[in-house]
Amino acid sequence: MTLDPRAQLPPGPRHAGIGAGFVRDCAIAGGAEERLANRLALIAEEVLGAAPANAGLVGLALADRRHSMRLSVDFTASDLDLAGLDQSRRGDIEEGEEIGLYLAARLADRLTTEPLDRGGLRLSFDVGRAYPAMTPDAAPAGLGPISGPAADPDDATLALLVQWAEAAELGGPAFRTAPRVLDQRAQGDLFARVALDARRRPVGGLFWHPFGRRLMELAGPALLLPEGEARAAVAGALLDAALAGLVRKKIQGLVVLEPSPDMPRAGFETVGHLPSADGATWPVLFRALEEDPGGISWVPAVLKDWVTATTRRLALGRDIEEPARPKRATGAAMAAETDRARGRVTLRSLIAAGDAAEVAAGNVALFRDQGFSEIRALLDLGKPDQAAFAEGLVQAGLAPAALIPDAAGDLLLLAAAE
Amino acid sequence: MKDFALDRLVPAHVRAFEAYVPSPPDDVLCRRFGVPQLHRLNNNENPLGPPEAARAMMAAWKPEHAALYPQGDGWHLRRALGRQFDIDPEQLILGNGANEVIAFVIKAFCEPGDNIVTADRTFAVYEWLASFSGVEPKLVPLRDYAFDAAAMLEAIDDRTRVVFVCNPNNPTGTWWTHDELDAFMDAVDGRAIVVADEAYAEFAEDPAFPDSFALMQRHPNLIVFRTFSKMWGLAGLRIGWMAASPDVAATVKKTSISYSVNLLAMEAARAAVWDEAHVAATRAHMREARAGVAELAARLGLTMIGDVGNFCMLRLPVSDTVAHRRLMGRGVMARAMTSFRYPGWLRVSLGPAAAMAAFATALEEVLAEG
Repeated sequence: MTLDPRAQLPPGPRHAGIGAGFVRDCAIAGGAEERLANRLALIAEEVLGAAPANAGLVGLALADRRHSMRLSVDFTASDLDLAGLDQSRRGDIEEGEEIGLYLAARLADRLTTEPLDRGGLRLSFDVGRAYPAMTPDAAPAGLGPISGPAADPDDATLALLVQWAEAAELGGPAFRTAPRVLDQRAQGDLFARVALDARRRPVGGLFWHPFGRRLMELAGPALLLPEGEARAAVAGALLDAALAGLVRKKIQGLVVLEPSPDMPRAGFETVGHLPSADGATWPVLFRALEEDPGGISWVPAVLKDWVTATTRRLALGRDIEEPARPKRATGAAMAAETDRARGRVTLRSLIAAGDAAEVAAGNVALFRDQGFSEIRALLDLGKPDQAAFAEGLVQAGLAPAALIPDAAGDLLLLAAAE
Repeated sequence: MKDFALDRLVPAHVRAFEAYVPSPPDDVLCRRFGVPQLHRLNNNENPLGPPEAARAMMAAWKPEHAALYPQGDGWHLRRALGRQFDIDPEQLILGNGANEVIAFVIKAFCEPGDNIVTADRTFAVYEWLASFSGVEPKLVPLRDYAFDAAAMLEAIDDRTRVVFVCNPNNPTGTWWTHDELDAFMDAVDGRAIVVADEAYAEFAEDPAFPDSFALMQRHPNLIVFRTFSKMWGLAGLRIGWMAASPDVAATVKKTSISYSVNLLAMEAARAAVWDEAHVAATRAHMREARAGVAELAARLGLTMIGDVGNFCMLRLPVSDTVAHRRLMGRGVMARAMTSFRYPGWLRVSLGPAAAMAAFATALEEVLAEG
């Protein structure tokens, strides 16, 4: 049984402060720093204050996820208007109480939704911990060739690998800030394989983390050996070890959105290309771990030609169906995951409704105005409601970039580079 | 209902397990992949079907018997098998396919926290059944495509209850000889139950293949699995069986499910025991089909392994899961082996001649696409 602190409060401003105090005190008691506790408290206050009066008791639960804290807000009543969560509605709602939902969404580093039993909805607001800046140690000279199979490393080895990779700027963003990587792994949000030399020193590493419901995204590899056969052997051993650790579990495939030049390409297929702000493109790689028995793709008319052609090119067995419009007339919302340092935003469906196309276009315009140079959207073609966002995304200048196969619902990645 | 918190009721080892999803029926697959028919070369079925006597029995079977419960523990079939192998029928237990017999054995000997030992690249059901029973599967890497006896012995610890040896191994077709199995049993020295899963035993023509029923006399901790799904062409009826020494069989019987094998399966299996002409015809088919795949492999420059059983494996120069989809698009269903921890390999059943010809043509086209 989980021991996460939880509370239930009525919606509305009168209890918003109580909820905020509860969340703040629990976060502090759980070891969160002041800044983090305050952000979480503000989210709770804004959501409770803006929650519709017909929401019933609103559940709050706080979970320590090591590298972040998660505030879950449960609405047990169905058919609530939570459109204020969508950041593109800022202009519509500045005079109204929904500004609270908008602020809550902006305060979180990541906002996800999942359905609850009997029509309810859970909003999960993740706020990342801050890690003190540190200068990573550089790898020593004379690391040897790989010795033995790549393995799931202990904490000390993993930390050393990340420090050395960070010092040499290898592996990409996933290989930065060792304490964060250790926390991500301990939380089950990151997995690693590390190759060692004969002196048990790390010579390379490969990470993966969840991507959607049944896929993992690979990051790296970070290879600490100089160019040559020994380096290629490390890359191959890391991938073999990752595959051995992933098969016969729930993971259906591996996706590589930013392939490192050191990633072994054999066995991967190219499922699309992503544009970058400088006009270049790079391939999106995919490797299925299970047979694909075919499935249903819910594809809006505006994307039918592209999806059909790509489905054929990838030899996917799909019933391609056009979805009905969402039952709900208005109140669509998208969640945005932003990476300001890289100028990237990824939009996902939060709540589908008849106004989804307008909302999607509004989101693209909002982030374009804010100077984001890489705007992406991810639609799950296994969920018919999500197709409603497609038209607005395309009208706003996004184009289909990659189709990531999953028989339970292919993921369509749309992208625009400004 | 106030609050139904399902997770609170589900053990962690069940929560962590992902349900197996079988592939859809052929009509759905054909529609999705846009093909008029599908050659199934993925399940290691017998293209000759059941033996003649079993066919006759099923043709004469009266549908009104479907209203009756079967006899609960396969009384007549166990006696027929007992006579065939000179084993007391009380030492034999039937199951709804050999998969159910695996479950009987794990339930009989393991409790959460115990472990089983098997290979990393073998029939997946030992690993799955252990995992969702709260039992740790300790997986020992194959060595030269075969079960590594020394490494498996090393993996046995004081929480090991069952060692599963798939002999011949699915998917590699490698096998231990009588002497190798005997020596392994000596080395295990009664520390754990050892299961010799002989689902494909009837395909082995080499006299060095174990006489496991004889070895049971020397090693009372040896259990032997057999099935009517492979050689006997009764996969659709789901019937398998096991033999064990009297005390071991009596223990497994406690966790076995009476009445789980249906009446038609028991009667068809009984009629099949032990049609040597059917065995000979099936073996002849397998020799011919295997030679055809070997010729194809040589022409395409592919490594092929597996010389026992009704299947073989090919190493492809492309992703096996991609090849699987492209073959499906040409009406051929083989098994992608990434999920067996053999990325880049394809397992193909040795099916009917027309299916093997379709496979050869389709594979050449798929590989030509690069």
